[in-house]
Amino acid sequence: MINTGKTSTRKRTAVAVVALGLVVGACSSSSGDGDDAVETETVPTAPADDDAIVPDGTGAPTDTEAPDDSAPTSDEVEVVQSEGGRLAAVQEAGVIRCGANDALPGFGVIDSAGDYAGFDIDLCRAVAAGVLGDADAVEYVPLTADARFPALQSGEVDLIIRNTTWTASRDGGQGGNFLFTTFYDGQGVMVPESSGITDLEGLADATICVLSGTTTELNLSSVFTARGIPYTPSVYDDNTTLQPAYEQGQCEAWTADASALASGKSAIEGNGGETQFIIPEVISKEPLGPVVADGDTEWASAVEWSVMATVQAWEFGLDSTNIAEYSGDDPSILTFIGQGDDVASGLGLPTDYAVQVVSQVGNYQEIYTTHIEPIGLALEGSPNNLWTEGGLMYVPPFR
Amino acid sequence: MTDTLSGTKPSRPPFWRDVRVLRVVAQVVAAVTVVLTVRYLLNNLVGNLNAVGISTKFDFLGSPARFPVKDSNFSPDSTISALIWKGVQNTAASAFVGIALALVIGVVVGVGRLSTNWVVRKLSTLYVETLRNIPPLVIIIFFGFAIFTFGPFSPFTPASPPGEIKFPGTDATLLMYSNQRLGIPSIATGQNSGIFWILLLVALVVAGVVWRWRTRVNIDTGEPHRRVRYSLATFLGLGVVAFVALGAPISGSFPEVSESGRLIVGGLDTNNSYVSVTIALALYTGSHIAEIVRGSILAVPKGQNEASNALALSGFQRYRFVVLPQAARIAMPPTINQFLNLTKNTSLAAAVAYPDLTQVVRTAIGNDQPSPQMVLILMGCYLSFSLFISVILNVVNRRFQLAGR
Repeated sequence: MINTGKTSTRKRTAVAVVALGLVVGACSSSSGDGDDAVETETVPTAPADDDAIVPDGTGAPTDTEAPDDSAPTSDEVEVVQSEGGRLAAVQEAGVIRCGANDALPGFGVIDSAGDYAGFDIDLCRAVAAGVLGDADAVEYVPLTADARFPALQSGEVDLIIRNTTWTASRDGGQGGNFLFTTFYDGQGVMVPESSGITDLEGLADATICVLSGTTTELNLSSVFTARGIPYTPSVYDDNTTLQPAYEQGQCEAWTADASALASGKSAIEGNGGETQFIIPEVISKEPLGPVVADGDTEWASAVEWSVMATVQAWEFGLDSTNIAEYSGDDPSILTFIGQGDDVASGLGLPTDYAVQVVSQVGNYQEIYTTHIEPIGLALEGSPNNLWTEGGLMYVPPFR
Repeated sequence: MTDTLSGTKPSRPPFWRDVRVLRVVAQVVAAVTVVLTVRYLLNNLVGNLNAVGISTKFDFLGSPARFPVKDSNFSPDSTISALIWKGVQNTAASAFVGIALALVIGVVVGVGRLSTNWVVRKLSTLYVETLRNIPPLVIIIFFGFAIFTFGPFSPFTPASPPGEIKFPGTDATLLMYSNQRLGIPSIATGQNSGIFWILLLVALVVAGVVWRWRTRVNIDTGEPHRRVRYSLATFLGLGVVAFVALGAPISGSFPEVSESGRLIVGGLDTNNSYVSVTIALALYTGSHIAEIVRGSILAVPKGQNEASNALALSGFQRYRFVVLPQAARIAMPPTINQFLNLTKNTSLAAAVAYPDLTQVVRTAIGNDQPSPQMVLILMGCYLSFSLFISVILNVVNRRFQLAGR
């Protein structure tokens, strides 16, 4: 008895020591927030670049000459991933890890053959084609809405193309670097047509289905609160559980980006469900596009220009069938397809990357027509049309 | 000790072979290793987060959450800490009701498995073997979707009012049901209700005194104690007197459909998510507790049963006074474990859109609150839950165990 008593006292002492140590450790690390000395201590393997001490790596945007001297050595990879050099890491790995949606028809979904398909998926493929020359060199990582930024921050994925809305807080606090907006969307509310509801006011006290961890949740809250409409949010993890709940009337309305609603509408009606009505009131701006982690401008440029090549090709009238056979002498197009001035290597991309992107994946119009039009959203007249046609798709010149 | 036995002069072994020294050294080394490892990991985390410009502070806890929580009075202007507290309340609501149900189910089914009645025994076995071998998430999804979403209940909209079961012969609703909201009667408090609750408490104490008096009478004189009857009569009598004297301080409150035709007002209302999670977890954990109960009953020495039979105790009396009190002592520690499991399993509630702690934290993370800090808080909350439950039940357990010695 005495013996056990002693041991437990010792155990307690040991626990107390450990706890004390933890507290000391925690205090010293939190007090080091504003202290550069702590950072240099904790990121010891990145001494070459003085800029590394500045927390916000995006302070140096004109970094295009950097790629050659920042080639990583094997023991630096961990740190390099957050400080730059992801492009080289991806090229070495030979595959891109793309955070994707697997349950949103039109944008990202696993089709009946078990393959990922959709608008966002094709953009992942475009990046793979541009960076690696092979559109199929993509490893898709299915992410739920609330898991995507932690996955990006931790380096689990190289980029996210997953109907992700560009917002200030995500750009800032979440450490996301938002690139070219590939889809201009807005949030809507859908109800069964038979309910007779035609405006948001008709939804007083209603239960509204919404996905967890999306901007739609906050938009819904601010719009309804501002108008003084009480409601109950019912928050689901993904569309595979949300849609049946909505169809069976567990919530009277479903709110999401208009594109996602169109996708849901076609899925419900296609299965012989009730006719759906999307309330003609867009309650927010939702620019969707690819996201990479902050602090690696080189990788960001490579991704952004690979994606923008699809729009530029469309503007030039090039598509997957004719880009390889282009025989004209337009100097802009020759530069674009890598037969004129070499602009691609400055971006860290192969000279013919645009040809690879467009011939393997297609131009923006082809991607859109294949995936988005079947869910009922026409390109004609939408903000996603080319700028020359009155839309918002406008890319910087390739020269 | 060997020294004293052999009679030679006691000499200390060198310190590297001295168990007393080695013990201390081992503990210090272990403690230092743990501290340094945790420190390294923390610094690594903080350093990497700072490198990509993500805040590592906890000041976000005071900022507004900006989104409401399902079926609660939580306003979007409330802070993140209030949000976490709301999540804790929801988790507790599911866990504690679930624990109570699981305990009842477990005891009944556990005894049922040892019944001499073939049907009861086989049904209990079927229940245990089925529920115990299905993951809790699957059971929750089954309840959420098979029972509610695709089940027999109708939606709750202005066009389709919920189903109602009335008290026979009255207009008062006993149960209001739909595939989304459920309502049952509850108690509405009026004037003097505070005094009434205090008086009820007093009545309870008096009833307790009567209970002890009857017990003493039984021990002293051998006359039947009838303490349940006496105490109940005292309690109810005093309660009725207080009720009348205070002019009906409480009344029944019955569920009704709200003006908008979408909510339940009056009574106690809840939703499909809460019911799915709580019942599913109670059934799942109940099957485990049933096995514990069965094992504990079998662990009571056979002689105890034989002695009860020799005293001509009935089957019920044998269980009530001899077997179960002893079995409970054996069952207590593993059952506490099951309670902790149930509490932790409530984190699966997001599958059916129940806003438990995990779900509100995940929603907050999705709405730009920093994930490392939020997850740290989440872990802290579950740890507190588990420690809270085990501290309380261990105190109960200790009293229980000592009573037998």
